Amino acid sequence: MMAIRELKVCLLGDTGVGKSSIVCRFVQDHFDHNISPTIGASFMTKTVPCGNELHKFLIWDTAGQERFHSLAPMYYRGSAAAVIVYDITKQDSFHTLKKWVKELKEHGPENIVMAIAGNKCDLSDIREVPMKDAKEYAETIGAIVVETSAKNAVNIEELFQGISRQIPPLDSHENGNNGAIKLGKQTTQMNRRCC
Amino acid sequence: MLKRMNFYPFVSVKLAEDETRKRLQGKEFKTFSGVFLRKMSSLTTETCCPDKRGSFFKLIDTIASEIGELKQEMVQTDLTLEDGSTDLQSLVKDMDDVCCEKKDSKSCPRDSGYDSLSNKLSILDKLLHTHPVWLQLGLNDNEAVEILKSQPPGIFLVRKSSRLQKKIISLRLPSEFGSCLKEFAIKESTYTFSLEGSGISFADLFRLIAFYCISRDVLPFTLKLPYAIAAAKTEAELEDIAQLGLNFWSSPANNKPQNPSPPHRPLPSDNTYKESRQLCLINGVHSIRTRTPSELECSQTNGALCFINPLFLKVHSQDVSGSLKRQSPRTQDVNGTERPRSPPPRPPPPSINSLLTSPQLSRTIKQASMSETVNHNKYRNSDLLQKKPTPIPPPRLKKQAVSSEVEGNAKTSAVIRPSHNSVHGSEAASVPGEAPPEHSLAACKKTLATNSESQVQWNGGRQRLSDMSISTSSSDSLDFDRSMPLFGYEGDTNSSLEDFEGESDQETMAPPLKPKKKRSSSFVLPKIVKSQLRKVSGVFSSFMTPEKRMIKKIAEMSQDKRTYFGCLVQDYISFLQENKECHVSSTDMLQTVRQFMTQVKNYLSQSSELDPPIESLIPEDQIDVVLEKAMHKCILKPLKGHIEAMLKEFHTADGSWKQLKENLQLVRQRTPQELGVFVPTPDFVDVEKIKVKFMTMQKMYSPEKKVMLLLRVCKLIYTVMENNSGRMYGADDFLPVLTYVVAQCDMLELDTEIEYMMELLDPSLLHGEGGYYLTSAYGALSLIKNFQEEQAARLLSSEARDTLRQWHKRRTTNRTIPSVDDFQNYLRVAFQEINSGCTGKTLLVRPYITTEDVCRLCAEKFKVDTPEDYSLFLFIDDTWQQLTEDTYPQKIKAELHSRPQPQVFHFVYKRIKSDPYGAIFQNNNGNDEDNNSTS
Repeated sequence: MMAIRELKVCLLGDTGVGKSSIVCRFVQDHFDHNISPTIGASFMTKTVPCGNELHKFLIWDTAGQERFHSLAPMYYRGSAAAVIVYDITKQDSFHTLKKWVKELKEHGPENIVMAIAGNKCDLSDIREVPMKDAKEYAETIGAIVVETSAKNAVNIEELFQGISRQIPPLDSHENGNNGAIKLGKQTTQMNRRCC
Repeated sequence: MLKRMNFYPFVSVKLAEDETRKRLQGKEFKTFSGVFLRKMSSLTTETCCPDKRGSFFKLIDTIASEIGELKQEMVQTDLTLEDGSTDLQSLVKDMDDVCCEKKDSKSCPRDSGYDSLSNKLSILDKLLHTHPVWLQLGLNDNEAVEILKSQPPGIFLVRKSSRLQKKIISLRLPSEFGSCLKEFAIKESTYTFSLEGSGISFADLFRLIAFYCISRDVLPFTLKLPYAIAAAKTEAELEDIAQLGLNFWSSPANNKPQNPSPPHRPLPSDNTYKESRQLCLINGVHSIRTRTPSELECSQTNGALCFINPLFLKVHSQDVSGSLKRQSPRTQDVNGTERPRSPPPRPPPPSINSLLTSPQLSRTIKQASMSETVNHNKYRNSDLLQKKPTPIPPPRLKKQAVSSEVEGNAKTSAVIRPSHNSVHGSEAASVPGEAPPEHSLAACKKTLATNSESQVQWNGGRQRLSDMSISTSSSDSLDFDRSMPLFGYEGDTNSSLEDFEGESDQETMAPPLKPKKKRSSSFVLPKIVKSQLRKVSGVFSSFMTPEKRMIKKIAEMSQDKRTYFGCLVQDYISFLQENKECHVSSTDMLQTVRQFMTQVKNYLSQSSELDPPIESLIPEDQIDVVLEKAMHKCILKPLKGHIEAMLKEFHTADGSWKQLKENLQLVRQRTPQELGVFVPTPDFVDVEKIKVKFMTMQKMYSPEKKVMLLLRVCKLIYTVMENNSGRMYGADDFLPVLTYVVAQCDMLELDTEIEYMMELLDPSLLHGEGGYYLTSAYGALSLIKNFQEEQAARLLSSEARDTLRQWHKRRTTNRTIPSVDDFQNYLRVAFQEINSGCTGKTLLVRPYITTEDVCRLCAEKFKVDTPEDYSLFLFIDDTWQQLTEDTYPQKIKAELHSRPQPQVFHFVYKRIKSDPYGAIFQNNNGNDEDNNSTS
């Protein structure tokens, strides 16, 4: 049996860039009927295999409006990864993205995996943010970057696969820093007791 | 001679197995009787010497008891079975007649079979009492080999394999199997235990082992109890064995397994050719066994078939919860090194004698035995124990059984109904109280006259209830449809009733997404449908039982100050109630409560105070869940009122309630659009519904159940938002609506509710769905609480701010004349006070002056009395960043100015605490600590 690791993933980005569309696409494509659905799209889960582990993404959506900005720390606290979404047709949203990256670097969890998603790549004819800009920026901050289209299901799986790959495999040092909770912590307690 | 002696056991095993097989194949019991009689006659011819009669009787006894046990274990109703046992009974009596010289002078010739049956301990009893011997979760591979290699085949240990990370049965094999022992992994699902490869699952480990002592299923042969345990006649003997713990295996107590004529569950110890061949034969026969419809009947759609008789669970729950605490360190291993089940870190005080009687046992028995046994440590509670072999069935069950029988009587024409009825009638007369067992025994004895009635005596002897446990090999039997479901239904009602009695405030709970269970159905379902439903609920309730039992047991233990755990909990509760001033804030108080719960949970999962150990009743992945629920029940339930009062006090004192109240009023006056809501919002009726849910939430003590209700509220909001449009809404839309709804509900108490949940919820749940919506609700409340302040601080609504930002953008990009604060050695600092708004001053700040110094300067310039409450913040991109003392404000300013895209920023000197989100940080850090300590 593969160990299930719960990974909290936080979604950041301006309102209207398609944060929840990306997640809905990710969660609802190849929908697994065995898993009880969540009550709404603000919080969704999806389990994907990764190596000899199963990664259960607990995806926390945040409200992108600025007046909710101050609540963001509560949402990204304890996240193993953050997906920061911008709209390739809106330069402003890319600017907001940079702001989020900065905030995460300063106040976010240590070793948080950052993934930049340039959404709405199906609208590249009215693109405002060149792919090159995003790539260069991602490189400077060591983040994953993909252009996605939630509408056409482009690169959605790849985005999360990229995150999965960047999550350090669970080994001897299991601590809460990266936000991963190993299911079955009772087992570890038992071990402690047995040895 | 010896050889012959050893032969009997085999016959008895074989007979018992034959019996199992016949039953499982749904064959007529009569066939068995025939076989049995033939075997008996052959036996008698073989062993006609008079001194054999004692053991002959024991053999019968063994067979009879095996049948009794099988009846408990198996789901069966075949009425012919009763005939079979009748035959057997009469056989026993015949045997008694034949054996005129009784060695055992105590038992009277005619009644001896009966007496020995009624006093006999079931395998399950034996397992429950002696788990410190065979349940050795901490044992490693080598230690297991070490112990088992000197034991006869069939002897087993249950331990945890570090390689498989699973519990396993280590079984000693006969020498011809090649290896000394074999391991069988135990599979644990959410509710059940089963052997890997087997389709039969059990509610707990004891039942699993008990079953495999009788039927081999996927094993090469059945498990065998060590001789001393198998031979034990009283619970006191078993207690003595249990005291030895792991040392039992090397002690003289375990040294006579080859004793002639073992009376119970004998061992194929010598591995003679004949015996092993016989063993194979048994197994050969056994391997063709098929599953009966009744097993299939209880199966789930996928996964293991379930084979748990709810009646059986009910009756035995007394045994489990009534079993005694041993306070001696009983788990020293052979080398004297400490075992995992060693005494707790701070061992319980020596005076503990936690007599955890189930409430189903009568209080009077409990009290009497308590007073008697406090001084007698060794044989403590032996009185009580001796009563246990004939457990008093809970009155409810009896009533039910009566009604089902009456009903059955009316509808069917079963041959032996009348006798059944007479027994139940007499029982019913001796209920509703807890009739002493002798009473019902006497009642049964009265009916002992004819052959057909003697089976009633059988029933009356012990575990009558399990005999009535009707589920069956013939699934089309009317009896099954009616009575088994009836039981389940009742069981379900009982459990909810218990809930109601015990935690009336929790009674309305149901999973958030499932429709509420209708308990009092006023409509009449077709009988068949109803019984099907009941059947389902019956199976369901039987699954729930071990968990409920465990929680109940822990809750009872927490009340019992003679246990270390009870002391811990009771002392803490009274400490908290008596020392109101020991906490500086509400968060502080809740965090210590949470910490205490986590610590006690750790203590419980590691101490030996829980007996039997929780691992044997609850599958591993559920242990923490069960313990958490138990903590809620024994800590939060008694403290709920106090905590609420304290929270109210704190919030009144610090003015936050007043602030919330005023802001709630302000927000309520806003339209949804003004709050940034652009989707359908709940109307008046929906808001009322939500309010009702919130009010129910207030009655709960369990943070998890509160969160469940919060989820139901959120679900309702989503439903309204989506309005059948099929659109999925993310947080961008949901959070504003949630804020709007929370304001519309206008409930100040919600603030403490959210706080209660935030701080007391099991930290492992904080990352899940409950944690998410809890965070959102907290966020919504924070926004409301700071609505006015937000306005005052010119943190305007998003639209307004957007306009402002645009304006700033224009201004800053076309900036031509630098203002004074752009000059290198000056810094413009705004001073923000809640009451007086913003004032600004330009200060002389050199490049290498730290924030600490700037703060000191500001305190002076702005005439602040309490500089420690203030700090310098950078307000940029609409966010606040508190600058740490060792940063250089001028450097930050320079960095900001050098950016390609100029940004608006301000240095603001303000109160640290007025920033609500700073407080959030603090709270959450506390949770993180909890999280780390538990994981």
